[in-house]
Formats: sequence, C-alpha cells, structure tokens
Amino acid sequence: MAAHFDTEYQRLEASYSDSPPGEENLLVHIPDGNKSPWHHIENLDLFFQRISFYPSKNGFTCMLLGEVFELVQLLFVVGFTVFLANCVDYDILFANKFVNHTDSSKVTLPDAFLPVDVCGASIRDNVAVMFVLMISGVFWLHRLIKFIYNVCCYWEIRSFYTNALKMSMVSLPYFTWQEVQARIVEIQKEHQICIHKKELTELDIYHRILRFKNYMVAMVNKSLLPVRFRPPLLGESVFYTRGLKYNFELIFFWGPGSLFESEWSLKPQYKRGGNRLELADKLASRILWIGIANLLLCPVVLVWQILYAFFSYTEVIKREPGSLGARCWSLYGRCYLRHFNELDHELMSRLSKGYKASSRYMNCFLSPLLTVVAKNVAFFAGSLLAVLIALTIYDEDVLAVEHVLSSITLLGVCITVCRSFIPDKHLVYCPEQLLRLILAHIHYMPDHWQGNAHRYETRDQFSQLFQYKAVFILEELTSPLVTPFILIFSLRRKSLEIIDFFRNFTVEVVGVGDTCSFAQMDIRQHGHPAWMSEGKTEASIYQQAEDGKTELSLMHFAITNPQWQPPTETTHFISQLKERVQRETTGDRQTLTSLSGSEPRSLIANFLAGPPSLASLHLGRDGSLTDHGPVGVNDGASALRSLSVSSTRGSCSSAHRSAGHASSASRAMPGSSTDARTASSGSSVWEGQLTSLVLSEYASTEMSIHALYIHELHKQQSGGELSRHTWHRQDSDDSSDSVTEEGGSGGGNPNPRNLIPRSHTFPISTPISTPGPIPSSNSVTPLQSNSQRRYGGNTDSVGPGGRVVRSARVPMGGWAEEGRGGRHPDTVPEEGSEDDMPPNTHKVFTQTHTDLVSVYGVPYHCFPLSSGDVTDQRSHPHPTREEPSADL
Amino acid sequence: MNCRSEALEVSVEGRQVDEAMLALLHTILLHRSTGKFHYKKEGTYSIGTVGTQDIDCDFIDFSFVRVSSDELDRAIRKAVGEFKDAMGNGMDGMGQISLEFYQKKKSRWPFSDECIPWEVWSIKVNVVNLANEQERQICREKVGEKLGEKVINIVEVINRHEYLPKMPTQSEVDNVFDTSLKDVQPYLYKITFQITDTLGTSVSTTMRRLIKDTLAL
Repeated sequence: MAAHFDTEYQRLEASYSDSPPGEENLLVHIPDGNKSPWHHIENLDLFFQRISFYPSKNGFTCMLLGEVFELVQLLFVVGFTVFLANCVDYDILFANKFVNHTDSSKVTLPDAFLPVDVCGASIRDNVAVMFVLMISGVFWLHRLIKFIYNVCCYWEIRSFYTNALKMSMVSLPYFTWQEVQARIVEIQKEHQICIHKKELTELDIYHRILRFKNYMVAMVNKSLLPVRFRPPLLGESVFYTRGLKYNFELIFFWGPGSLFESEWSLKPQYKRGGNRLELADKLASRILWIGIANLLLCPVVLVWQILYAFFSYTEVIKREPGSLGARCWSLYGRCYLRHFNELDHELMSRLSKGYKASSRYMNCFLSPLLTVVAKNVAFFAGSLLAVLIALTIYDEDVLAVEHVLSSITLLGVCITVCRSFIPDKHLVYCPEQLLRLILAHIHYMPDHWQGNAHRYETRDQFSQLFQYKAVFILEELTSPLVTPFILIFSLRRKSLEIIDFFRNFTVEVVGVGDTCSFAQMDIRQHGHPAWMSEGKTEASIYQQAEDGKTELSLMHFAITNPQWQPPTETTHFISQLKERVQRETTGDRQTLTSLSGSEPRSLIANFLAGPPSLASLHLGRDGSLTDHGPVGVNDGASALRSLSVSSTRGSCSSAHRSAGHASSASRAMPGSSTDARTASSGSSVWEGQLTSLVLSEYASTEMSIHALYIHELHKQQSGGELSRHTWHRQDSDDSSDSVTEEGGSGGGNPNPRNLIPRSHTFPISTPISTPGPIPSSNSVTPLQSNSQRRYGGNTDSVGPGGRVVRSARVPMGGWAEEGRGGRHPDTVPEEGSEDDMPPNTHKVFTQTHTDLVSVYGVPYHCFPLSSGDVTDQRSHPHPTREEPSADL
Repeated sequence: MNCRSEALEVSVEGRQVDEAMLALLHTILLHRSTGKFHYKKEGTYSIGTVGTQDIDCDFIDFSFVRVSSDELDRAIRKAVGEFKDAMGNGMDGMGQISLEFYQKKKSRWPFSDECIPWEVWSIKVNVVNLANEQERQICREKVGEKLGEKVINIVEVINRHEYLPKMPTQSEVDNVFDTSLKDVQPYLYKITFQITDTLGTSVSTTMRRLIKDTLAL
C-alpha cells in the first residue's frame, strides 16, 4: 500500500498496466477478426484477371489436368521427335536391309531401333539436336514453374469462388460473368477488397482487368502501332503477330524501363509534357535496344516458334487437314474489332457468332479461272483414281506394286484440294447481305465496305481481319525474323507519338489507377461527331476515337452490364439512342427524316418490321409493326432473323415466337424500353424461363441491332452532312470541320485519288421518289461530288484553313503540332490512300445509285456463283451493269 | 495500387531536417497507434492507454505532440538520422521519406509472408541553404507555420472514414500491429527513404516484375 499523506490527494498504486484499476472490465472490445482472407487484396488487377479467366478454364480440376497433360505432351513430343530422328534404323523399316533372325522371318518393330548406346552417342554428337533439346528443356522448365505458380494462384481463386462468392465448383458453369461480377460488387461492401472505395462499379472491374488491353485497342484504333505495311509485290498487308504484340507490351507496359512503373500507374515523368522530346529519345533508344536483343535472340526464338508450331499444329493437321484452309480471326482483327472494355470471352463469343457468315462471305470470292482449272484437274485426277481403285478392288495385289498406295493417297488429296476451289452449284451468294450479317456481330467496319461488298478490295481488306489459319501460322513462324526490323525501323520513329499518346490519353481514376481515357467511354471527350455524338462531343480530331469506337463501346458496355450506372450525360446518350431505335421500329419515319435531313430508306425500320415476332420480342412493340411487314424482304431482315435463330435457344425461342405473334397485336407497351430484358420481364409467361444466360444472349442480339443502327445512321448522317455542306459550301463555316475530318481522313495525302471522302456511299440510300429536298439534292449530285473533292482536298488546297483550326484544337503534342499533318491518324482499316478505286468509278457509282430505288429492299448483288457469265460480271464489277438487277 | 497514398512536401534548412521529419512522422504515428491490447477469454480485449507528450523543436518555432514512448521515438529518430546522413549535411538537396503502413498476410509454405501496404505517406523534403542569420530567423518562423498546416492536413486525412485494417483476434494481432513495443502498439509500419528522385525503377524491382509476369499467365 502506498504511504498515507495528510492531503486528499494520493498517489495511485503503481500497476504494470497503465489503465486505471477496474477499468479493464468496463471497456471491453470485440475484435472483428479477419475471418476472410479476402479483404484488401494487394494486386487487384491480377486478382480480377484470374477471376475472369477462371470460369473459361472450367474450374480448378479441368485446369489442373489440362496443364499436367500439356506438360507431359511437351515432353513426349520432344522426346519422340529426337527418338525418331536418331534412334531408328530406317533401312530396316524400309526393308532396304535385311535382318537375319534365327527364329522367324518377320521383322519386328524393336528390330528397327538402334541400341541405346549408339543412339545416345549420335544424339550427343549432333550439335543441332542438343541445341533443340536444350531449348526445349528450358522451355519445359519454364512451363513447369509457371504451372506450379498457376496452381497456387488458382487454388486461391477457387477458394475465393467457393468461400467468398459462394459459388460451388459444380454450379460454376451455370453462372455468367455478369453474375460473378454482381457478386464481386456485393462482396466489396462486406470485405472491402478494394480499399479506396466503399463500392466497386462494374466499370472499375473492367478497367482493372483490361487496363493494358484497352490501351492496345486505343492504339490500334488511332493507328499508332506500326502494323500495316506495304511490302513490294504483296500489296498492303497487316503484320501483327503474338511475338510483335509481346514486344509492344514489353516496351510499353512491363518490360525494364517501361512507361508504367507498376501495373497501375504510369511513371510521373510521362504525365508531364515538359520533357517529352527527351523522353521520346529515351524511348527510341530503348526500342532500339529491345530490337537488337530481338535480333540476337532471333535463332532461339525461331527454334522455339517452330517447335511450338509443330507441337500445336501437327496433330491438328493430321486430324483434319482442312483446318489449314479454314480461317480464323487474325490478331489484328481481334484488336480492331474489340470494344473498349470488352473481356476476352465476350469478344470471342461475338466473333464466333460472326464466323460462319464471315467464312461464307470469303467463300464468295472464288476465282473463276481457278474454278475452271480445278474442275479439270479434279476430272483427270479423279479418273486415274477411279481406275486405280477399281483395279484394287478387282485384285488387291495391285497395292503391292511400288507407289500405288502413295499415288492413291496423293490423288485423293489433290481432288480434295481441287474441290475446295469449286463452288457449290446450289448456293446463292449475296455478299452485301452477308457483310451486313457479319457487321451485326463484329460491330465495326470501315464505311466504304458498305455497298462495295462484292469488290475484291473489300474482300482483301476483310481478309486482313479474317485470315487463313495457314497464313496465321506462317506469320507466326516468320515473326522472329521480322519483329526486330519492325521495332527498329517502324516503331522507333513513332516514339514521340507514343509518348504523346500516353500523356494525353491517360487518366487517373480513384480506386483504379491510371487507365486509358478512351476506356472511360466518355462521349464528350472522345466522341466522334459523325457517329451520333454530334453536338455532345468536345473532342478534337486527335481525341476522337475512330470508327465510332467510343459510341459503340459505350452501347456495348451499357447493354452487357445493365446494372452499371453511367454518368448522367452518358445515360442521356444511351437512353436517347435506345429511344431512337425504338422510334424507328414504330415506323415513325418523320422523326428520323427531320433528323437526317433527307428521307432515308431506313434499314432498321424495315428489318425490324420484317419479322414481327422479333420486333415484338426485342422492342416490346405493338401491332403497328405488322403494317410494315411486307416492306422488307431485305438483307437486314434476314440478317436479324438469322440472329434471332442463333440467339434464342430451343424451347425458349419457339415460346417467344408464338407468344410474340399472338400478342403482338393485343399487347401494347408504348414507351417501354427497347431493352429486351425489360420487355420480356413485362410478360409473366417468360419470367420463369429467363435465366441470365438467355438474357445475355438477348443482350448480344440487342447490341447487334444497335450496332447496325448506329452504322446506318452514321452513313446517313455523314451523307446528310455532306449535302448540307454542299449548300453552305461557300460560307466556309467552322462546322465544316466535322466533315473535313471524316471526309479527308486520308488527309494530307497529295494523291488526287484520295480526295473522295468515305461518305461517298451516301446517295445509295436516297430514294428518288421523295418530295422536298431530294430532287434538289439529286440535281446537285455532280456538284456534290465536286464539293466532296473540295472537302477531301481541304487539307491539300484549302488546306491551311482546315489545318489551322485543327491544330488549334489539338492538345499539346497532338499530331498536328508536330507539323506532321500528313501523318494524321487515318481511320484504321480504310486508309483512303489505300483505296484502289479510280476516281471516275466513284463518280459513276455515286450518280447511278442516286437513281436507284430502295436498294436495300433488293439484294442487288445476288447472283448464283456457278453460272459462268454472272461470275464474270462479278469479277469485273461495273456499277452500270448492276443497275438492271437492282431495279427488280 | 490497393493502397492510399498521401504526399506532403516541405522546404527546410539543413539543420531543421530531422526535427521537421520527426514532427511529421510522430504526428502521423500518434494517430496510427493504439494502446496495447489485452486479450481476455472469449475473444474480447481491452485497450491500454497511450500517453502523449509535447516536444519543442530547437531550430523551428514549433512544438508537436507525440506518443510518449521512448522506444518508438528511438526507432523513428534512428530512421530520420539515417535519412539525414544520406542527404549529406548542409547541402542543397531533395529527398523523400515515406512511412508505409502495411498488413502481413500469412501465406503457405514455399512463399514468404506478404506485406501489403494500405497507406503510404510520402514526405518530400527540399533542403535550402540560407545566407545569413536574418533569413534563418524568418525561415524558423515560416517552417513552423508550414509544419502547423501539415499537421492539420494530416489530421484531416486521418479523420476521413477510410479503410483501416479490421481489429484482429489474438492470433492475428501480429499481422496488423507492431507488438514489439512495450507501451504502445502502432499499426505495422516501415520507413523508407530515397534521396534524389531517380528515374526509373531499380533493376531488382524490374527483374522481379519480369519474373512475376512470365509466371503470371
């Protein structure tokens, strides 16, 4: 006890704990405890990426097994190849040498094997084999480590799925990504995965997963990456391989000294404009060094590539040799066609839906000359084969004659090859229609393809997106040789533009980090006036995304993620667009007329009116539609009809059909949203059946409609714009900018052939029988093409004006500022300068088509392929010749 | 990225560096420390008290409050001393000292424990040279005012309702708090510094990322 004093104040008893005595029992806390390990995850980018990949790998067990087998397969292939090359005595196999057996005369397989020591020695002596073995050994070890690492990571993801998201592995296939995502958003409130925000949005998740991919898409969109080349002899071609892509990513995103300091932030010096020249120099020298490193590593990479190609494709080729002739979406195509914020599986499912139509489209273009040759070669080969087979059937000793079996095989292959060049007699190809169907799935397409679907130029350009598998493999194989040169000679020159690109188009989002500003899908900042965001966009030409990428991506994201709450302006844009599409369906053409300045033969109105079931299904529309039914037996209608078939499944689709038919007259839902989900949920019949999977399929159909609509409107708008400017031509008003930029996208090119703006297809959609402005626009047509010249030439002759305005609006470091106006970002795929059509063809085209009535109503490029003279016509397309068929 | 970062910047004279740094670091740590936890049965605990102490600066017209824990003070003084030595005495220079709060996450055997930062305070220091006593006097007052502002900034940031690690159970307390001190229990922290802002990341981090990336997918 403490000593007693006379005062009231007393010293407290000293205690080890400095809390006042007794208080321990009063103030008691209960720990929250970190029961779940999922709070505050360090690398959310990687975490979300893995989560999004996980379902596509079908869960943990599949992934594990798949990877194990891959490793084993690799070992086997290398081992077996080496064995075949070194340890087999082929003389014995080919019976050039006889083995003397004591017991039997039969040659057994083990007889052909060399003894172990002999073949071991031969392997050791062969430097090349040792080299290959070493490379594959390193490769295999790398794969093994990666495998172990992956297994650990995916085990974690698996427990995240089961424990945090409460999805069992069994039910995983039943969940769509959207549902997984909704749960992640839900989880965030509880576990706080991301510490910056209380709530995550869908866009945050997408931004994290696709941070770098969005940059790549934007760079391809702005033609920043050197992937287009004009090698002699080959014409314009695209070269974009995985090796090149890897190098780009190495340079920009994660390699030593890359622009990004971590996965989520750009280095601060790249955000400042001050020393951009210096930084560009630095980048250029880095690219040079990486290029040289590539050159040095070239032999290794080449061997690796060959081995890789051999391992991956030989088996496939053996199994189905036709697969080499099949096509696939090229790497460039995937980049070009990808929306901002579109996950891999979303892109792939979209492209896969377009695959069939695309390959049919490509098959339209069989050379008639080849067909004739192929037919005859097939005839001769076939007759030889028939004789050989007949003889064999008669007496099988024929087979024992040397080379009979091999010649039968060869002849068979020859006939197969020839047959692929002979078109099916009973098929009718309609390129224009097919292209529209493709567009419904791939969503992006240069303007000049429309109306030119039957031309070889279009086909060639499309084949850049959709290449032969064989070409793909070939490109991959040559990639190690070509990549260093692309890096050193092409990419290095662009270093300043790259620096500027990253500075101008990087925004820091709280809770996400630095992302590509295009991926924000902000119409105001990156909208293109020719793509529906006229008046809403404040973007300079440098900032506008080409091909309506911003607008289409926005629609795509809003449709696939209905829960997403966009900013108000964006919401406005989306609802406005949806409303327009809806209005189109009601057949209320007046509104559209006022909107585009002429009376368009509205494709959407027609084709949505065409199949009433579909219209009522998607748009919740009522009976007024049926009035327009007969209008359209057109490409769009059939396009959509096939869409509906592909997207609605089984019983559901039939239910919808019948319900749609039955109720289309009675059920009136005026003003309801165009959103398929809203429409369908209005009816109690379907509510039970509509799983989210079905809904997501509707979403894709809905997106197709919107994509078609936006393209159509873009065409009409840019056309309308032009005719408007025909009238105001002399005024040289500032607003002509918008046309200048999209007309003269090939701007600065002195070649007079390029002066025709890409909107030259406009008059196609102008019917002759319209009252009001149309006759005048008709009479103006020659003038118009004149004016188009003027606009196109704006950058050239009138140039200074347009250029000045442009550079004034370009932010610092824009292309214009560099005085490289000539290298202004062209629209990616179209490249006005690459258009081979002579100018007079354009004019003829323009004029003839103004006279056509309802071109869309009739698929005027339809012709049977096998009949000789029509094919002839197709191969030498001449606009005037098509006129009669168009007047059907 | 999954980490808040706050930046502060001060310009001080060479001899003021350590006091200014101590003032700021101690202010932050004052708000990021709790009393010792005493766990009871059934997963409850009580929190000990934290004493505070006013410190007057010698070279700045400023006094600040710090946790009255000599051990903590010693640890911070050591870090600041190293920082000052690295800066070089009395020369013009720039430096950055950062205070990082992190959590440990236990991981399975082959990997070492992960340290995941959740808040990083980086304090940039500009060292200025002054010509005469007059300027030094002015600087003395100026820096005092500035530091006062910074302290208020810090308190504002800390008052926001933002992510803090959840209170751990007894077994996990080492993952969140630094329990090595006898009288106080700050969140796990580490102090690092960097002298000139070197361009580019160091070779080791790049290599680590290179390896990680090849492993990743």
